Amino acid sequence: MKTDKLIKTVFFIEILKGMALTFRTLFKPAVTRRYPLVPVPAKPGFRGLHALARDEAGKMKCVGCGLCGAYCPSQCIHIYTTEGDDHNKVVDRYEIDILRCIFCGFCVEACPFGAITLSERYEYADYSKESFYMTREKLLTNWDKYFEGEKGRQYFKDFWRPLSADFKGSPEQAMFSKIKQKGKS
Amino acid sequence: MTEMLASFLIPLLMPLLGREIADMAVNIIVILIQIAVVIGVTLLHVAYATYWERKVIGHMQLRLGPREVGPFGLLQPIADGVKLFFKEDIIPATADKPIFYLAPVIFFASALTSLSVLPFFDGFAVANINIGLLFLLAMSSLGAYGIVMAGWSSGSKYSFLGGLRAASQVISYEIAMGLSLVGVMIMAGSLNLTEIVRAQHEYPVGLYAVPQILGFFVFFVAMFAETNRLPFDLPEAESELVAGYFTEYSGFRFAMFFLGEYTGMLIMSSIGALCFLGGWTLPGFIMKALPFLSSLPPFVWVIVFLAKVYFFMFLYYWVRATLPRYRYDQLMNIGWKVLIPLALVNIVVTGLAKIWFRGMP
Repeated sequence: MKTDKLIKTVFFIEILKGMALTFRTLFKPAVTRRYPLVPVPAKPGFRGLHALARDEAGKMKCVGCGLCGAYCPSQCIHIYTTEGDDHNKVVDRYEIDILRCIFCGFCVEACPFGAITLSERYEYADYSKESFYMTREKLLTNWDKYFEGEKGRQYFKDFWRPLSADFKGSPEQAMFSKIKQKGKS
Repeated sequence: MTEMLASFLIPLLMPLLGREIADMAVNIIVILIQIAVVIGVTLLHVAYATYWERKVIGHMQLRLGPREVGPFGLLQPIADGVKLFFKEDIIPATADKPIFYLAPVIFFASALTSLSVLPFFDGFAVANINIGLLFLLAMSSLGAYGIVMAGWSSGSKYSFLGGLRAASQVISYEIAMGLSLVGVMIMAGSLNLTEIVRAQHEYPVGLYAVPQILGFFVFFVAMFAETNRLPFDLPEAESELVAGYFTEYSGFRFAMFFLGEYTGMLIMSSIGALCFLGGWTLPGFIMKALPFLSSLPPFVWVIVFLAKVYFFMFLYYWVRATLPRYRYDQLMNIGWKVLIPLALVNIVVTGLAKIWFRGMP
C-alpha cells in the first residue's frame, strides 16, 4: 500500500469529505415544493383545461366544422350540429370528455378558426364524473374565467392562435384580388 | 433541592410515622420524584430526538422534514405517538407469545434503567453507585437480550435473521466498547461516573478525549454498532430484512422498541459526554478565564452536559445522512481486527503512561 493511500485509510479522509459535503448541504435551501400551500405556476403554453373561444362580439367562434373531433386521437370531442335559418351550421352540442382526453393539443392545431384553446388550469379534481364531462356552456364559461380581459387575449394570441394567422402571402403568389390588396396595404 | 424537600416533608410526616420511618419515607419520595423527572425529561428528549433527526437528515438531503403538524411541525412526535398508541396490536399466529410480550419490555426497561446512574450535573444522579460504568455496559447487554428474544419469538424469517445479526454484532462491539472505556477507568481511577467527571475536570485539558484519542475513536465507532444505527444497522436493514427484529411488532410494542432505541442513543451519547468530553464541566482553563462561572449554582451545568449530548446526537444523524450501510463481513472485520486490537493497544499505552508518571501503585 502506498503512503498516501495508507494515510487516507487511517484518517478516513473519504468519509470526512463525505461528511463535509452533507454538512454543507445542511445550509442549502431545500428543493421541496410545498404544492397545495404554495401553488406551482404553470409554464407558459401549458396544456390544461379546455375552453371554447369567443370573438370580439362575445359570440362563440366555433362553426361546427368538426375537424377537432376528427383529429382527436382519443376521440373525446363530440359535436352535434343542425342547419340554421340562413343555411349556416348551428352548433347545438359541443362536448369534451376530459377523462378520456390526453391533452395532446391536436384539436387546437386542427381548428382553422382558433375556436378551441387549452387554459393554464390544472387543478380540477372532483368526486363526480359529471364535472369532467364538458358541455358547450361549461367550455364557454372556462373562456370567460381563464382568458379574461386583455391579458387573456394576449396569452391566447401568444400561444394558441390558429396556424393560419401566421400565413403570409408572397407578392408572386396568385391570390384573389381583394385579399392581395389587403396584404399590400 | 433535596434538603428543601426534606425539611418541608419531615415535619409533616413525623407525627404520623415517627422519626426513622419519616426519614425513610422522605428518601423514597425524593427518589421517586427524581425518577419521574429523569424519565419524563428523557422521554421528551426521545420524542424530539426523532423530530430533529428527521429535520437534520431532511435538510442534509435538500428536503424540509416534518412541517405540517403544528408550527414548524413541532407537534409531529406527539402525533406519531398518538398514532402508534391507537394502532391495532397484531400478534402473529406462529409467535411464541410469552416471549413476544416480554421482549419489548426487556429492551425498553433496560434502556430506562441505564438512566439511573447517569449524573446530569454535580450531585444529581438517581443512584450514585460505584460501578456506574459497569452497570451501563451490563444494561446495554441486557437490552440485546430483548432484541434476540424479539427475533426468536416472532416466528418470521426476517425477525430471526435480524435477531441473529443483532446478537453477534452487539456481542462483538460490546468487547470493543468495554475495552475502549478501560483507558478512561485507568486515568480516572474509578468506575463511578461522578468521580470520572471530577477527575477529568482536574486534568489539565479537561477532556479525556485528548489523551484517550484512540479510546475515543474506538468508543465512537462501537457506539454506532451498539445502538444498531447506520452505518451498522444490519439487524434492522430495511432493504434486506424489512425491519429486522421488530418486523412483526406493531402498535405500542413497536413504539417500545422505538423509544428504547432512541433512549439507547441518548445513553450512549451521555456515556461519551461523561467519559470523554468532561460531562457537566468546562475545561479548567476556560473556568480560569471566566471566573464568574464558578459561582453558578450546580444545576445550571446541566446545560453544558446537554449540549455535549446533543453534539453526539447530531453526529448520529450526520453519519446516518452520509454513510451507506456496511456489509456484514466488513462489520465483523472492523470489530474484531481493527477496533479490539486498537483498544488493547490503548489500554497498554495508558497503563504504561500512568506507571511512568505516577509510579507503581
